[in-house]
Amino acid sequence: MERRRFLKDCAVIGATSVAFGTGLLTSGMAFATESDPFQTTSVDAVLAALGVDSPKVSDQIKITAPKVAENGASVPVAITSMLKGTTEIITVVAQNPKPLAARNRFGKGAIPWVSSRIKMGETTDVIALVKSDDGYSMAKTKVKVTVGGCGG
Amino acid sequence: MNQPSIKMRVKEKDGAIWLRALIKHPMETGLRKDKETGSTIPPHYISDVLVESNGETVFSADWSTSISKNPFLSIKFYGSKGDTVKLTWKDNMGNSDFVEKTVGKK
Repeated sequence: MERRRFLKDCAVIGATSVAFGTGLLTSGMAFATESDPFQTTSVDAVLAALGVDSPKVSDQIKITAPKVAENGASVPVAITSMLKGTTEIITVVAQNPKPLAARNRFGKGAIPWVSSRIKMGETTDVIALVKSDDGYSMAKTKVKVTVGGCGG
Repeated sequence: MNQPSIKMRVKEKDGAIWLRALIKHPMETGLRKDKETGSTIPPHYISDVLVESNGETVFSADWSTSISKNPFLSIKFYGSKGDTVKLTWKDNMGNSDFVEKTVGKK
């Protein structure tokens, strides 16, 4: 797993440097793509782009997802937060090409519960990141995918 | 648009409104390849979703390509019968659509 990730990172760095070399990217553009959490390619990068520093694991966040998903193209996931003052629930799929799936913001009068369907490329963790009165908290659950849903 | 892209249901129970919506959208990731031509299909996905109740924002979301094709969304918020609920979506190609419904009416 470590090796795979290393290779992936190498590929990203390689691609970026090539882009720099050919003058396709200006430094300003590179910065813009880096800071957009939706364009990042790893969980750590998503957290960094969102400005989240090591969120604590909370048992007040519940993720309802199947243990085994037959079709990775459509995995039903519901997330609820019992934390006080929840304003945001962020859904992250750890091994997807673009891990950040959704950033859900709750306004006045909304119940912090959201249910939708996500794509999953392979068996991996679904991470729920919740912004509440205590800052960022997280919970995760593993979903086994038998048929992937990214690309083809 | 002739065919509405959104199917939405709003139901009131115990002071809370339960919204369920199904949006018709391809949600292309930009990673798939066209089998015949071999060229990459450009990404086409819903990037913004907004739910308003009586003109006030109760829910907004930024989505990425990791959301399924023909996305389903379900949320709950406090409200009562007679409230007007509006759901709007926008995609990365500049398309958008909305649907408006009054709670408790068909």
